[in-house]
Amino acid sequence: MTVSTVGARAPRLTLRRRRQLAGALFALPAVALVVGLIAVPIGQAIYYSFTQWNGLTSTWIGPSTWTQAFHNPNLWTALENNAWLLLAVPFALGLPLLIAMLLHQRVIGWKIFRSIYFLPTAISWVVLGLVAERFFAFQGTLNSLLHFFGLSHVNTNMLGYESTALSALGITFVFTMIGTNTMLFLTGLATLDTSLEEAARIDGAGRWRIFRHITLPHLSRFIQLAFVMTVIALFSALFSLIFVMTGGGPGYATTTMEFLIYQTGFAQGDFGTAALYGLILFVLTAIVGIVQLRLIGSDE
Amino acid sequence: MAEITFSGVTKVFAGDVTAVDNLDLHVADGEFMVLVGPSGCGKTTALRMLAGLEEISSGTLSIGGRVVNHVLPKDRDVAMVFQNYALYPHMTVAQNMGFALKIRGESKAEVDRKVREAATILRLSEYLDRRPRALSGGQRQRVAMGRAIVRSPQAFLMDEPLSNLDAQLRVEMRVEIARIQRLLGVATVYVTHDQIEAMTMGDRVAVMRGGQLQQVAPPQVLYDHPANEFVAGFMGSPPMNLVRARTSPSQGRVGLAVGDQRLDVPAAYGASHDLPREEGAEVVLGVRPEDIEVVGGDASGPTLRTCVERREALGAEILVHLSVADAGQARSVAYDEDVAVARPTMLVARMAPQARVEVGDVLTVRLNEERLHFFDGSRGVTLRRERA
Ligand SMILES: Nc1ncnc2c1ncn2[C@@H]1O[C@H](COP(=O)(O)OP(=O)(O)OP(=O)(O)O)[C@@H](O)[C@H]1O
Ligand SMILES: [Mg+2]
Repeated sequence: MTVSTVGARAPRLTLRRRRQLAGALFALPAVALVVGLIAVPIGQAIYYSFTQWNGLTSTWIGPSTWTQAFHNPNLWTALENNAWLLLAVPFALGLPLLIAMLLHQRVIGWKIFRSIYFLPTAISWVVLGLVAERFFAFQGTLNSLLHFFGLSHVNTNMLGYESTALSALGITFVFTMIGTNTMLFLTGLATLDTSLEEAARIDGAGRWRIFRHITLPHLSRFIQLAFVMTVIALFSALFSLIFVMTGGGPGYATTTMEFLIYQTGFAQGDFGTAALYGLILFVLTAIVGIVQLRLIGSDE
Repeated sequence: MAEITFSGVTKVFAGDVTAVDNLDLHVADGEFMVLVGPSGCGKTTALRMLAGLEEISSGTLSIGGRVVNHVLPKDRDVAMVFQNYALYPHMTVAQNMGFALKIRGESKAEVDRKVREAATILRLSEYLDRRPRALSGGQRQRVAMGRAIVRSPQAFLMDEPLSNLDAQLRVEMRVEIARIQRLLGVATVYVTHDQIEAMTMGDRVAVMRGGQLQQVAPPQVLYDHPANEFVAGFMGSPPMNLVRARTSPSQGRVGLAVGDQRLDVPAAYGASHDLPREEGAEVVLGVRPEDIEVVGGDASGPTLRTCVERREALGAEILVHLSVADAGQARSVAYDEDVAVARPTMLVARMAPQARVEVGDVLTVRLNEERLHFFDGSRGVTLRRERA
């Protein structure tokens, strides 16, 4: 007689394994949705980039779109513009952080300021674009202000010149992002345990040190989230601002990838190339996302 | 190391809440002072004013002879242990403990040495590289202590540091904190609402109520000679029995009417108290549960006829709840909600577990005449025994 059958029978599946299985099962609908809504269109875009499509029928033309596209200087200008616009991101995060810190200190009238900063979030970017256009225009608000402060000689026309139009767009973008990011940071600050700050004060930390060692580490998750959202907005939500403010000009000075896709596909009717540009933009955005996920994952 | 002096310190919050009312308190260098009192009595507020986290409305507060009313927390050189520990979540245990030293600009080697030293005292050496969230409650508590002791501050401030621990750990840490405080000899203000902590840890205990200091004394003095009815009812577990009574002198002897019963207070003893001499003055009689013994019906001294209502066996002792017989018409209304026992006709007695007492028994009990307390019926202050 053996005793081997007496001991507890090893379960067919370990608890861990079962949990994983259940997880996979629950994730299935979401995966299906993602595949349907993202993978399929991407596949289609890849397919279209090998065809010529006139709006009714598509004919296979092979990789010629690809070779031509990379020789198109407008693509490089657009990519360059996107790169330059990235310079707006630190401001789109830094200013809201500063504002949130001030509001969090309960400066006089913080409730009113909170509403003021949040207001842009509730307004269509088309309207914001129109306001910005009026602001920067030759006979617009900015020049009136300069005139008012006795600076009539520095008459600006930022949207009128290739050298400054992109800056004006970047500034407008920062402004449109302030509301969302400020709210995000305020939410983050609200979850900060005040006794941590008090402990740090007693430990001898001044304002800067408290910010650096207590507040900032606490907000890091929120900052990372704001960063991703801001970059994605910058790459893929600027269209309405550009459309209203500059139409991509002067020349191609404010044409971003996103706007180039629109121009190529709808203004020039070249859907094959537009699909290719779309792929490039997708890859760029995905890279930002993945790098960010890595960073977030790294401190767990 | 330094002494701490509150003089006339008051804190009025917006909305006219007087949280601390004219507090006078002196904590000697190296002394362990416990602040105790019911919830909302202003303990935390007093401590926070000392830490510099709360503005002082009036009065002066000094640490080591220096008035600190307007000194920032970082310049007061005090260390505080928070109730929720307030450990920096993204720092390791070592970084948490070394934070203040680093800010002070001490060298890395020096910080490291001090942190290790403190970790040894607190038995935390093996956890130095962990984050707070990977520690148990007791370990977190010790890290919070460590953060305070590495600094060798002028004073330790602790706000209910043990209230988040389970009962057994609390007993352990109670001993531990007292040990470390003796070891370092740093003046300590320790806030708690647990009167056992107050009794066992403090060199002296300050009892507060409604923002006002009631009494400051060593624990045993507080227990034996409470300044008023509130302190008497607050310290001790179960607390002192407080019984409403009326003076009833007869033939030159002091006596008390408790309900329908007359309680004899021996002449020599009673006369030396500042008891009202007239008939029918209201007083409150206080007697500790351990000062009640069962006697025969014909015993002399201050005796009362009672009936056993409840019996609680605690292992080492039993608590017997007695109703005073024939006291039906005495008011059994709590006249002061802050006082734990205010039903005038009930007594709790502490007895040996062997005592054969059953619910329903009618007993005559004698109150230890050496250890009676009398309080003014309206103001609650102790009617002092005259010093002979
Ligand atoms: N920031 C504040 N604003 C207004 N009132 C306050 C504030 N902080 C405390 N109080 C009030 O001051 C009184 C004392 O509060 P405190 O926190 O000092 O009590 P405590 O003795 O520590 O009580 P507990 O044992 O419950 O911690 C309470 O009545 C409380 O409501
Ligand atoms: Mg408190």
